[in-house]
Amino acid sequence: MLAFANVRKEKGHTVSLFLMFLVAALVLNAGLLVLLNFGSYFETMAKELNASDTYLLLPTKLYNEDVKQLIAENSVVRRTQVENCVGGNVKIPYNGDQRDTSMLFSNADGKRDLSRWKFVGKHLAPEGDMPAYVPYVLNIDGGYRLNDRLTVTFSDKTEITFTIKGFTDDTFFSSFDTGYLNVYLPQRTLEAVRQKLGSSEDRTLIFANVTKQENNLTSSIKEMLQNKHLISATDADNAISSIGLPLIRMSRTLMAGVMASMMVAFAAIIVIVCLAVIRFRVATSIDDDMLKIGSLKAVGYTSRQIMASIVLQFTSVAVLGSIVGILLSYLTTPALSDVFAHQSGLLWEQGFDPVVSGITLCSILAIVLLVSVLSARRIRRLNPIVALRGGIVTHSFKKNHLPLQKSKGRLSFLLGMKSMLQNKKVSVMVAVILVFISFASAFSVVLFYNSTVDTSKFAQVPGIEQSDAEAYFNPGSDNAKVVDSIKKMAGVRKVLYNDRLTGSVQNMAIYLYSMDDYSRKETNTVYDGRYPRHDNEVAMSGVVAKSINKKIGDTVTLKIGPRQADFLITGFTQGITMGGSTGFLTHEGMLRLNPDFQQQALEIYLNDKSQSASFVKTLEREYGKSFLIVMDVDKAFAQSMGAYTSVISEVGAVIFFVTILVVVLVLYFVVNSSITRQKRTLGIQKAIGYTTFQLMNQVSVSFLVPVAVGVLLGCVLGITQTNNVMSVGESAMYIAKADYIITPGWIALCGVAILALSYVISLLVTYRIRKISAYALISE
Amino acid sequence: MKNIILSTQKLCKTFSNGGLQQHVLENLDIEIYDGDFTVIMGASGAGKSTLLYALSGMDKPTLGSILFDGKDITSFSNDRLAVFRRQNCGFVFQQMFLIDNMSVMDNILAAGLLVSGDRKAITVRAKELLLKVGLEENIWGKFPSQLSGGETQRAAIVRALINRPKVVFADEPTGALNSAAGKAALDVLTEVNGEGQSVVMVTHDLKSARRGNRILYIRDGVINGACDLSTYVSGDRERHEKLRSFLVEMGW
Repeated sequence: MLAFANVRKEKGHTVSLFLMFLVAALVLNAGLLVLLNFGSYFETMAKELNASDTYLLLPTKLYNEDVKQLIAENSVVRRTQVENCVGGNVKIPYNGDQRDTSMLFSNADGKRDLSRWKFVGKHLAPEGDMPAYVPYVLNIDGGYRLNDRLTVTFSDKTEITFTIKGFTDDTFFSSFDTGYLNVYLPQRTLEAVRQKLGSSEDRTLIFANVTKQENNLTSSIKEMLQNKHLISATDADNAISSIGLPLIRMSRTLMAGVMASMMVAFAAIIVIVCLAVIRFRVATSIDDDMLKIGSLKAVGYTSRQIMASIVLQFTSVAVLGSIVGILLSYLTTPALSDVFAHQSGLLWEQGFDPVVSGITLCSILAIVLLVSVLSARRIRRLNPIVALRGGIVTHSFKKNHLPLQKSKGRLSFLLGMKSMLQNKKVSVMVAVILVFISFASAFSVVLFYNSTVDTSKFAQVPGIEQSDAEAYFNPGSDNAKVVDSIKKMAGVRKVLYNDRLTGSVQNMAIYLYSMDDYSRKETNTVYDGRYPRHDNEVAMSGVVAKSINKKIGDTVTLKIGPRQADFLITGFTQGITMGGSTGFLTHEGMLRLNPDFQQQALEIYLNDKSQSASFVKTLEREYGKSFLIVMDVDKAFAQSMGAYTSVISEVGAVIFFVTILVVVLVLYFVVNSSITRQKRTLGIQKAIGYTTFQLMNQVSVSFLVPVAVGVLLGCVLGITQTNNVMSVGESAMYIAKADYIITPGWIALCGVAILALSYVISLLVTYRIRKISAYALISE
Repeated sequence: MKNIILSTQKLCKTFSNGGLQQHVLENLDIEIYDGDFTVIMGASGAGKSTLLYALSGMDKPTLGSILFDGKDITSFSNDRLAVFRRQNCGFVFQQMFLIDNMSVMDNILAAGLLVSGDRKAITVRAKELLLKVGLEENIWGKFPSQLSGGETQRAAIVRALINRPKVVFADEPTGALNSAAGKAALDVLTEVNGEGQSVVMVTHDLKSARRGNRILYIRDGVINGACDLSTYVSGDRERHEKLRSFLVEMGW
């Protein structure tokens, strides 16, 4: 009864605390739902579709008896399922542009036991002109609808137009980020495709269940094909692909996982803020109700009963706010699912999850209970007589801070400062809250800046070289002559070879890059040490080095096909590419492993990035015959990273706005409480001639310094620690040391904005002083 | 002929309480003279304090006008009233109302620095006044909770006087004090009045009322009668009898 009477009496505070818990529970529950269920949703789907552990895709012409035997005799392989399909590099119209991707065309009428596929949403019968079932990502991200026409342009310029009759999901081929998209065609449509393309694009797709995940099988096949001179090392890499289920899972769920981690961390910050506010409110509530507590104790209420009423008051608000927040979080999951689906291609459907919601509610309830009980313990020590005297023993002002006769400055400012120093606990609490809030804001500013304004550092996360165009020479082309000509083309700033071959280190597959001169490389992936300069040096992924217990300065044996050589580790690299299994050699170093190695992959850098599209067209027109593939890197990157950057910028914006909301609620709460506590003092000041504005300023100023200190510390932490936090958050992306652009100017501006906002909010909240006459303040 | 410093015309103050209208002051006309020690008396609930706070611009009347030095302060905004109060009025309350988280000196300077920007001069004046009311230097840095009731009230009187107000308003200044402390506080008020300071005091205490030279008796929101004691010497038995008979006449 006492608790609910207090709730009614303090409606404004109750509502603001309710809203804070609502926001905390909403963000926490939504974050936990994504964190715990998005990944498991993928697992459930993989189980439902009986996903194999890995797949291997190779040109059908290479799938000979030797390969079959190699697979059959491999001790790791438990079960396989082989099917023929068509596949290759294609262009498709996508969101008003053309998008480069790789596609497989499989028989929709064929039976699969391993790695089945399913429809997402409504689908139509495979009737009409070239019916096709396409991945759901083309719907959610590409904007395609049922019965839309999809024109696929193959690398030999053959165009085939399909009619979309449904959208699909499968484990391996449903996201642009996992290599291939699988289009399922009725038998007759597939035959029509084969007729148009001939046998050059025939592929054999092998799904395999294995006893342990490793790339050794793929390496062995490539090695065997190279040994038999059926394929060169470079061609083997281009032609044969294989990805295991763990890498697919990581790729399709990582973004959601990282974002969910951020949401949970942010929710934790809001919960901490709520707890600080509760602690403050319990303390002020005890002070305000001192006489009431004295009366209750005097008539026989026990300390426990009085404490229970206070604890019940706050826990009931926390529980109600949390329940509403949890319920509202379920309204956000379709939006979150939509955001993540653009990248993952997964249609995540989240129903009510009592376990996750229970975790959210119970964890908030437990800490609110703990904090309110600890804060209310003071009641036990209160003697009824002391309480009836207004708890006078608790009001001892030991030091007269800033005596007016000696201190210089404006009167309102000095009085505000005095008030701040006399209420140290409140000031410290406000400062601590603002540290957390400002850090979250600075963090969101960094996220937003790097995902929206300058994406260059964000672009380094994958570890891919950020040139403007890439071109792969056809075997046998006169590379040197073409490279010389390209260097002379208008707008070309630089041309570098950047090749990749698959090798191994201690029986683990590793993707080895080679370059003539790494000092000319523009995307730095080395976070410790340096790139190789000599033929006996290698910079390798920190993840791989750690797994084989190697440090910088150690020697490691690398292998490509039958040849092996020792290399000195000069640096550790990071990046999500190839599951983080990468190594970097000089061209000469690569020749030590493969004397027949020919440089074939060109990175082309332009003076003006915006010209990449027209440059690629010119390159295709003038040198198209020399190249296997020419790619507009800027465009491909923008398309593939677009989903990531949009998610991150959206999360950054949401964090920023929720932060502002929390600042508003906290300041409303604290300043309003402060006015209530200082009502008598303010009344006296009004009586002796202080204007409302002077008092508003005085109260606002008393909060401005702790706010400023908190904002300053939060911003400094934001500037110095955001990359460390991101390093932890992105460790699953094989990022050991995040290096996002930190813009102190932007963060400082954000801090100034929070400071100004805090001052304005304080002024607005203190505006209520105006409504109360001096006489009323005194007579109360 | 005395100058009128403060007067009211048809002053009304009505409070609403749960739909019930309570008329505390009704068409009240009074005049307060410059240099007088005016005492307002009356039974509990007669409207003494309401009148005092209306006269001092602390509260706004419902109807009527209040002329202070010829200016109608009822038309002032709240902020203008605040500026008016700091420049023209000093307040002494029954509960003293010192700001409890400020030292004695800061309580006085918090009022003084509102009017004067000269920190040094206002500090000197504060010290002079404090010494004058018998508060020695060892008291100046103390907080109100560390003072006796009498010391607190004398500090409050210094705060009321710091800006040389035209009128000091005192609401039952001895109500919370023992007789010795009450006498000391009244002595200070009497002394400053002797120096020409106008004082308007609300009290229902006969001893306190004797300090005034003009007594106004309020009943049911209207002035029921006035008694001029200015012709009598302070402490004179006749003065006491005159006041006593006036109060008896008023039904006190």
